[in-house]
Amino acid sequence: MGERKRMLNLRQRTIAMIIVAILFLFGMVISGFLINADKLTVNLDMKNSAPSVSHLFGTDWLGRDMLARTLKGLTLSMGVGLLAAFLSAGIALLLSLLASWNKRIDSMVTWLIDLFLSVPHIVLLILISFAFGGGFKGVVIGLAFTHWPSLTRLLRAEMLQIKSAEYVGVSHRLGKSRRWIALHHLLPHLIPQLFVGFILLFPHAILHESAITFLGFGLSTEQPAIGVILSESMRYLSTGMWWLAFFPGLSLLLMVALFDLLGRNLKKLIDPFHGQKA
Amino acid sequence: MNELAYASIEREYNMKQREKFLWIILGLLVFILGACSGTTENESDQETDELILAIGGEPDNGFDPTTGWGRYGSPLFQSTLFTYDKDFNIVNDLATSYSLSDDGLTWTIDLRDDVRFSDEEPLTAEDVKFTFETAKTSGSIIDLNNLEEVKSIDNDTVEFTLKEPESTFIYLLVSTGIVPKHVYDDTYNENPVGSGPYQLVQWDKGQQVIVEENPNYYGEKPNFSKLTFLFLSEDAAFAAAKAGEVDVASVPPAFANEEVEGMELIELESVDNRGIMFPYVAEGEETADGAPIGNDVTADKAIRKAINIGVDRQTLVDGVLEGFGTPAYSVADNMPWWNEDTVIEDNDPEKAKQILEESGWLENESGVREKDGLPAEFTLLYPAGDQIRQSLSITFAELMKPLGIQVKTEGKSWNELENLMYSNPVMMGWGSHDPLEIYNLYSSETRGIGYYNANYYANPVVDDYLKQAIRATSEEEANKYWKKAQWDGETGFSSLGDAPWAWLVNLNHLYFVNANLEIGEQKIQPHGHGWPITDFIEQWHWQ
Repeated sequence: MGERKRMLNLRQRTIAMIIVAILFLFGMVISGFLINADKLTVNLDMKNSAPSVSHLFGTDWLGRDMLARTLKGLTLSMGVGLLAAFLSAGIALLLSLLASWNKRIDSMVTWLIDLFLSVPHIVLLILISFAFGGGFKGVVIGLAFTHWPSLTRLLRAEMLQIKSAEYVGVSHRLGKSRRWIALHHLLPHLIPQLFVGFILLFPHAILHESAITFLGFGLSTEQPAIGVILSESMRYLSTGMWWLAFFPGLSLLLMVALFDLLGRNLKKLIDPFHGQKA
Repeated sequence: MNELAYASIEREYNMKQREKFLWIILGLLVFILGACSGTTENESDQETDELILAIGGEPDNGFDPTTGWGRYGSPLFQSTLFTYDKDFNIVNDLATSYSLSDDGLTWTIDLRDDVRFSDEEPLTAEDVKFTFETAKTSGSIIDLNNLEEVKSIDNDTVEFTLKEPESTFIYLLVSTGIVPKHVYDDTYNENPVGSGPYQLVQWDKGQQVIVEENPNYYGEKPNFSKLTFLFLSEDAAFAAAKAGEVDVASVPPAFANEEVEGMELIELESVDNRGIMFPYVAEGEETADGAPIGNDVTADKAIRKAINIGVDRQTLVDGVLEGFGTPAYSVADNMPWWNEDTVIEDNDPEKAKQILEESGWLENESGVREKDGLPAEFTLLYPAGDQIRQSLSITFAELMKPLGIQVKTEGKSWNELENLMYSNPVMMGWGSHDPLEIYNLYSSETRGIGYYNANYYANPVVDDYLKQAIRATSEEEANKYWKKAQWDGETGFSSLGDAPWAWLVNLNHLYFVNANLEIGEQKIQPHGHGWPITDFIEQWHWQ
């Protein structure tokens, strides 16, 4: 029965999921950009109002619309996540290609990975972000420098596998340089892994950005980041203004979940062998 | 190998998720348990002679008056030579009388001879001398540079000799608690001994201070033998008040509209003001440390005046302070040295626009004014983390839009502010029981000294009045010059004159107080810090 009702096969369903996730995420970004400054202005007559039809997420203590602030915050988080994930993935790719050079460099890269993984993420993140002066720059650099190790480990393993393949050995014996092999044999095979890894870095980066901003080490209170909104709202919880924390928090969760969904389905699609195992 | 790595990451991820879930459940459990136990504890209304207060104000440097403790009111452990009554008249405390020589240089003070410290030792002129000599060399915020020497003439007479006449000297005698010479050492700030109404029992840093009545106190005995000061966050203090666990709790305006059973909201007026400090000079210079000085936009008097006239202070009070405050027009509203004529008609955008137009600030097509190609825009800074200053800044920026002045707001740490405040407007707060603050903020002598006169404001006429106020030999004469410095009919530092500041609001200090506890009338409260509410602790009683 169940089999017959399924209109789409696994591949089609995967693609559908990807499209839905992308549409949603795009929707968030576009609406974040479309919100004009009017929506964010102070409106003292409307302050502290609970969610209603005109203000779906309620308003804060200065009468600013929480929906608009949340969307702005998500857009910003996405920007930070994009930049950080991109840099992280870049670092991961570079290191894994370097590791293919010789044993010495390989063990050094492995050592670096172990070093970074041995320190709790958030501590390292706070340290680096603080050292670079905090703010947008500090957070992005901090995220980029802390999120590469697990992806690097994956890429390195993949790289070792390809490196031991026969055709690579043939290439080598034909006199191709290491650089040529890295660019023409290794890189193309790493791309799918890299891409999936890149997408799956997003949710981590975004969550960690919000976390350290919430703790006060990240983006400045000026920026409409979700972490800022959440930490501000903590002050108002005891007066019963639950919507200040609830909706932004939920939206953040939703966005992270969407990215996760997107990443997993992409993995299924472009890396079916590993994707199916999950 | 590859899939193994994936699988291990996946597993780690799942475990993390499970762990997270467990934490959430645990958190909820604790919350529910906490909520249950909170309601079962009902407030015991029997008349104890103990009070629990959550009013913040834990001093970083301990309870040593020679390094600033008690400067913002009530040292509690120590007593002072003079004190204020509710109307800011100076009355005797440890002193019985004083006289000032005709040249204004020598202050002779007679002391009570019946005063003993809480350790039974008598308080003598030697202790007074010791206190001021220690304070002078402590290098703290207490400025005793002008003090030439202190002499103890006999057991109960002290003579202060100044280098130059200084009418504000008496306010140092009001705010500096006397420490005992015989026990004073490096750990005094943690083990204060004094002649005040209470003595310290225990100080758990970051948590609480317990004090009990000083049996040797010479003044009117307080009705409570033991006080416990809890150092709680605003949130926790409010929660404690709701749970009936404290008798007095200070709260921010956001909580003040809540109903708390068994507690009454007490609003105390203050000179704890918030206002915008405008750089007064044009750009170009730098301080010795390399911080830029000046701002071309706010250096224009028309801009500052238009802001002062155009801003709607009442809206800020109602909107940001929830009505718990008053519009501020100066740094010292309602103090004896305040010039009442400087209250201006604000919320007059038409007049503000007219001022701008007349001095050449014309609106361009995007609605921002310009003068000779210079747009009327600046960045207003505030200390990040101070929610009231942030809200004031954001709302202020909003109020400036119709005038055609573009204001951006940015939160910064105090460290960053110290570098930026000479070239950017900053949302600051002052408000003291000592008119010397006026001198510090507006005299050209104090330009760029820390947070004092960060504007680099200078007006020779004002300087002259300020000097005369300092040199005056009586309070009345001094107050006359303080007022003239604000506005003498032609010039001054108030918003009628040069307007280097736009004072916006005075915060009311808000306390939830046990409905059965009567704390009586209080004087106008100073800027933050310390425990000014305990100033008249001896009149607190149960109803």
